[in-house]
Amino acid sequence: MKKGPSEEISKIKKGFSKLKYICNDQIATAVYLAKTLEKPILIEGPPGVGKTELANTASLYLNKELYRLQCYEGLDESKALYEWRYGKQLLYTQILKEQLGDVLKDAKGLKESLSRLMDFEDIFFSEDFLESRPLLQSLSNKNGSVLLIDEIDKADEEFEALLLEILSEFQISIPELGTIKSENKPLVFLTSNNSREIGDALKRRCLHLYIPFPEAKLERQIIKTRVPELNKNIQKQLVNFVQGLRDLDLKKVPAISESIDWARTLILLSAKELDEKLARETLNVLLKYQQDIEVTQKEIPRLIKESASR
Amino acid sequence: MERVLTDFVKVLRNSNVQASPAETLDAISVINTIGLKDRELLKKSLSLTLSKTPQEKREFYRCFDEFFNSELILDNPIKNLQKNKTNEVKEVSSNLGSLLIESDQADIMLSIAESAERADIAEIKYFTQRAVFTRRILENMGVSELEDEVRLMSGVGQDGQPSALEKELRLNLSNLREKVSDYVEKQFLLYGDISGEHLREKIFKSLNMGQIDKSYMHEVHSLVRKMAKKLVNLHSRRKKNHRKGKLDIRKTLRENWSNQGILFSLNWKYKKVDRPKLLVVCDVSGSVGAYARFMLMFLFSLTEVVSKIRAFVFSSELGEITDDFKKQQIEPAIELALSRHGGGSTDYGQALSDFVSLCLDDIDRKTTVVILGDARNNFGPDKSHLLKLVYDRAKQVYWLNPEGKYRWDTGDSVMTTYSAHCTKVMQCGTLSQLERVISTLLRTSI
Repeated sequence: MKKGPSEEISKIKKGFSKLKYICNDQIATAVYLAKTLEKPILIEGPPGVGKTELANTASLYLNKELYRLQCYEGLDESKALYEWRYGKQLLYTQILKEQLGDVLKDAKGLKESLSRLMDFEDIFFSEDFLESRPLLQSLSNKNGSVLLIDEIDKADEEFEALLLEILSEFQISIPELGTIKSENKPLVFLTSNNSREIGDALKRRCLHLYIPFPEAKLERQIIKTRVPELNKNIQKQLVNFVQGLRDLDLKKVPAISESIDWARTLILLSAKELDEKLARETLNVLLKYQQDIEVTQKEIPRLIKESASR
Repeated sequence: MERVLTDFVKVLRNSNVQASPAETLDAISVINTIGLKDRELLKKSLSLTLSKTPQEKREFYRCFDEFFNSELILDNPIKNLQKNKTNEVKEVSSNLGSLLIESDQADIMLSIAESAERADIAEIKYFTQRAVFTRRILENMGVSELEDEVRLMSGVGQDGQPSALEKELRLNLSNLREKVSDYVEKQFLLYGDISGEHLREKIFKSLNMGQIDKSYMHEVHSLVRKMAKKLVNLHSRRKKNHRKGKLDIRKTLRENWSNQGILFSLNWKYKKVDRPKLLVVCDVSGSVGAYARFMLMFLFSLTEVVSKIRAFVFSSELGEITDDFKKQQIEPAIELALSRHGGGSTDYGQALSDFVSLCLDDIDRKTTVVILGDARNNFGPDKSHLLKLVYDRAKQVYWLNPEGKYRWDTGDSVMTTYSAHCTKVMQCGTLSQLERVISTLLRTSI
């Protein structure tokens, strides 16, 4: 019997947590729906909440190959989709020239030469000379794959338009060859840090998942799985401290990845307890701007006190 | 099911969550996979397809809770009361009457919802329609039949006293009226609330800006921000003029080096579209002050598509107010500028010479100068040669006049004299005119 959706979702959740990715229902639901409806997921959220990690984990969980495309300004189809191997094509024409001599040797008149030339197999534009890039590779993988298009907001808007065909139809049109359609549709993740608004056309084709900073309980769980060596007491303090930091007016708020780094730092220093001195000395692991550090320095005693009591 | 979903989408759109038909179709397929059993799961799944920004998600959750909760509200005490009384009750002939007396609250609410649907409650737009819809729903439930019955009964009771049944029916009837009107109120908040706002926005847009009362300033400001956002969306794409013009030889050679210098892929030179540099000069004397307020509000909401903006205001002497706008919120900054420089009689000659001495050096071929004023010079000296100086250096000079064209050059207005040295003179009396003007300004400054 087919299982109900809620069982499937909790199964995904469990599978992910085995791979050390702790997620809430919302994320698991998104992955389940993306899989069943064959729709891409657009993930937004502040940096460091595990957007990219989600795609990595999904690829491990589904046991499918991950293709990753990092976006940047100026990214175009020759780097994302496909490119012709110009050098090889050049060699090919040279070989062809020698071969043609043999083929046309005893042809009489222009007409016959032309018809022989037409009969001659031409592979100048064929898949042999096609250098496929991540998007094409992912689509043509017969076993299915996971495709991660990272930081789509960094790419130009023209590139978004390029993605539309791939994301809605899972196919790529190559003018010289025709349309290449995916046999086994990949699971697509797009991530965005919201440095610019993503176009409506793209958004419409995707499921939209927003991952905010986690609540204290979830964050504790994440740190527990990622850094199991940390003792329970200090782990609770650490999470409360970071949660407190997020309420301050900072330029860059510490994310989960920073909390994990900090937890590792504390282990390295073999800390027994989180006190003011320790926090002050290791603050630069959490905060990346001098002005943020200055703002926080004053608040440390209060934060430490609160994190111990909460 | 589809009907419920489209109603829900309508509610979402009312709350500024822009769900498209394609997304609605997605939502239907989501429902088909998820099913309707698990409410929380359904909420989470629908939020993935129907809301696409963090703000929209917040709105979505609110709407979901409201929309899917309003149907069944059970208030138990009355129900118990009713159950006790049913024993004494005699025959009631009308359908509604028996429904009221014999059924529980859930059934009554269900019946209200059904009749409301027949009355097309989703079409409610304005608050004045509430009474009409309440009556229509009651009619659909068969209230007139019940009313007749109660009226007939009133004569029958002994000793002129109304019978217990009549009392109860009357009580139930007035309860029902209240319930229906509550229901309509709630539905109005869901479906109709925003339509009134749309109407108001439409009026604001076409109303002469000088006549908008100050008490509406807050609403108008949010409207202006909305309009500005639209313009930003329209103009934020920096279009590159690709594939026409000249071959970029250096880039092409470099790229094709690996192919033994044979030019497989060509690179073209392209022009990057620049964002305009704006210098805004506003007349803030009594007659034009109100217009300047909107204009500045609009322009300073456009910082995303305008690379650099400097604003000056004058009535007789000119002062720069750019820093005020950068430091504080737009509204107090405008108030400050108006109180400091506003009032007084206008002197365009003085203002222009101030402007020229202050920032003529700053004007280059990328600069667009925008002047807002009614060109009423109080019969002062003509200094249009100064404007010519500006015109010659700048990319373009726009003059925006809030007065209607028929009033130009009447009395002390010297519009024609100055318009000789402007790229374009445009009328901008209403918000929609202002929007059009600014849109052309952004487009032509490319």
